[in-house]
Amino acid sequence: MFVTDIRKEFYDVVVNQRVALFVSPDIDALCACKVLQALFHCDQVQYTLVPVAGWQDLGTAFMEHKEQYQYFVLINCGANVDLLETLQPEEDSVFFICDTHRPVDVVNVYNDTQIKLLIKQDDDLGVPSYDDIFRDDEEDEEGDGDDSGNESDGSAEPSGKRRRYDEDALERRIERQRARREWEARRREILFDYEQYEFHGTSAALVMFELAWVMSKDTKDMLWWSVIGVTDQWVHDKIPHMKYVTDIATLQRHVSRHNHRNEDEENSLSIDCMRITFEYDLRLVLYQHWSLYESICNSCYTSCSFKLWSINGQKKLQEFLADMGLPLKQVRQKFNSMDMSIKENLREVIEESANKFSMKDIRVQTFAVNFGFKNRFLASDVVHAAAALLENVEKDEMPTDNFIKALDCLSRSNLERLHLGIDLAKKKLKAIQQTVASCICTNLILSQGPFLYCHLLEGTPDVKLFSKPLALTLLCKYLLKFSCVCVFCFIRSFFGRAFEKAAESTSSRTLHDHFDTSVIELKMEDRGKFLDALITLLS
Amino acid sequence: MSLLTLRRNFFNVHVITTTKIYRENCLNEAKTEGKSELIPSIKFRHSCLLRNQRCIAAYLYDRLLRIRALRWEYGSVLPTTIRFHMCAEEMEWFNQYKKSLATYMRSIGGEEGLDITQDMKPPKSLYIEVRCLKDHGEFEIDDGTVILLKKNSQHFLPRWKCEQLIRQGVLEHVIS
Repeated sequence: MFVTDIRKEFYDVVVNQRVALFVSPDIDALCACKVLQALFHCDQVQYTLVPVAGWQDLGTAFMEHKEQYQYFVLINCGANVDLLETLQPEEDSVFFICDTHRPVDVVNVYNDTQIKLLIKQDDDLGVPSYDDIFRDDEEDEEGDGDDSGNESDGSAEPSGKRRRYDEDALERRIERQRARREWEARRREILFDYEQYEFHGTSAALVMFELAWVMSKDTKDMLWWSVIGVTDQWVHDKIPHMKYVTDIATLQRHVSRHNHRNEDEENSLSIDCMRITFEYDLRLVLYQHWSLYESICNSCYTSCSFKLWSINGQKKLQEFLADMGLPLKQVRQKFNSMDMSIKENLREVIEESANKFSMKDIRVQTFAVNFGFKNRFLASDVVHAAAALLENVEKDEMPTDNFIKALDCLSRSNLERLHLGIDLAKKKLKAIQQTVASCICTNLILSQGPFLYCHLLEGTPDVKLFSKPLALTLLCKYLLKFSCVCVFCFIRSFFGRAFEKAAESTSSRTLHDHFDTSVIELKMEDRGKFLDALITLLS
Repeated sequence: MSLLTLRRNFFNVHVITTTKIYRENCLNEAKTEGKSELIPSIKFRHSCLLRNQRCIAAYLYDRLLRIRALRWEYGSVLPTTIRFHMCAEEMEWFNQYKKSLATYMRSIGGEEGLDITQDMKPPKSLYIEVRCLKDHGEFEIDDGTVILLKKNSQHFLPRWKCEQLIRQGVLEHVIS
């Protein structure tokens, strides 16, 4: 069931208990986890935090902890599947699910006792009403019982009357069965429509931050984490731009409230204190920690607009730089070493020139954090750094090790880790850019009717990088943007269900382990028939 | 605090040299009776003996101080690697020290006594966040609840329960 008062129905319930936290490996979940941990530290709620990479991990973790814990909090996992069916818990286990995956499984919505959904109800959920999908079977049995009762009563009557009763009873039963079949057909249709498309709702970090705000325990750190959570959804294209703008507006109110509290003429904040500022900044990834040139070449938006894998594209880029009057030598330097005169109006200059090259939204609303003289980060910088750490394939470490490292880099005291993440993110973006360029140049993208198909061979450099869901998603969005498919369609994706059905129909050996159902693992041998089934299904 | 094996052979050599020097002194003393020419050499040898004795005493005393510090660092049961380096007399001394410390702790702080080896630095909070560095299995805390310590899981637990495990290297205190 949906929780209406998150403070009373969730926080006050767990505050005197011990809680198990299961967190999924994405940045929004990490941020929500940090906010919740900070609240728990404040109130001394004992908890255990277990990272879970997929459904199997979740099952194992639940098995291990179900004896010791009664309350489970699941972050960014568990809403879109019948959880009670999957985990088979005891009667007294209670699950609090804060998940952005939609649609929420109907069983989770209508279970009153064990499943509590920490989800804002103004997300367009479109949950079918109870009567449309659930129906008490007892009604029918009673009806039949009455009829048979009537029949047995009627047996004492003379045979003429009994025959009439039988006919009536038979008619009623046929009528009831017909109504029931109709209802079931409608139910199937309603459920199909409801579960057809998958998308994402409001950021989990934002939900947790609002909980903290309601309890007046919100701090700037928590606010910054919720900013990162929302930005993560936008960077990985999980939410449409309008929703991102709305969420940013909500956050902006909180930011101004926090800033207003401390800025006074007599006591202005020390430079070392954390300051969050609203910025209408450039969409160039990591540009303040890189050189401007590298950033333009490796950002999806600019790279696709210029088509930088072609010679023409390179020429256009040179024209763009010339139009802005930026010398190549300056632009290839580290951003911090660029001339002050160039840095001053950089954003406006770039926006003006970008408009001429049909890049209308080179600037986007976002936030930046400042603490100390050297440390300035945009929200998207932190998202890319944390994602790179989370899916680091350089050293053969367990996924949980990477999870811990990514979680650490979100604290302000672990700046070296954040910088390491930024370096990894640069490598990752360059790898994506090169792979995209090679795919396009060697025509590896094939159109299979309703969808595009691209097969990365074993020997491709950096192919290990793309075995991780987040990097893979970035690559796919990149390729899609190139092919000028409308990006909005991808946000509501039907691939999850399609994959399931195709796998079933061809009995291919697939692993639907990731929480994001658009990502699956498939045995190589089954690839052909799986794709054929997918094509027939989607056309 | 490292404790190396007691240098037995060093002692043996010392004992031999001491006896040699002492015997020479005695011989010289026997020869003297009345003459004072050999007295400086006797004095010299005697001061050598005294100096060696002081060095050895300092060495042994330093070892005792380190063993005493081990009680505060590791608790009442020492790991086998350390016990390997101690001689029997030192173990005896350690046990005596343990006993007198325990008697003292029982005598202060009311009925149950007070464990003064806990909380050596003033604690900032009742509960701390710890991260598990290796699989340790199940761990029971005071109120009977059992926690599964698996690698890379994080827990928020009472400070006094975690100190032992932090010292052993199973848990790591996470400061954020």
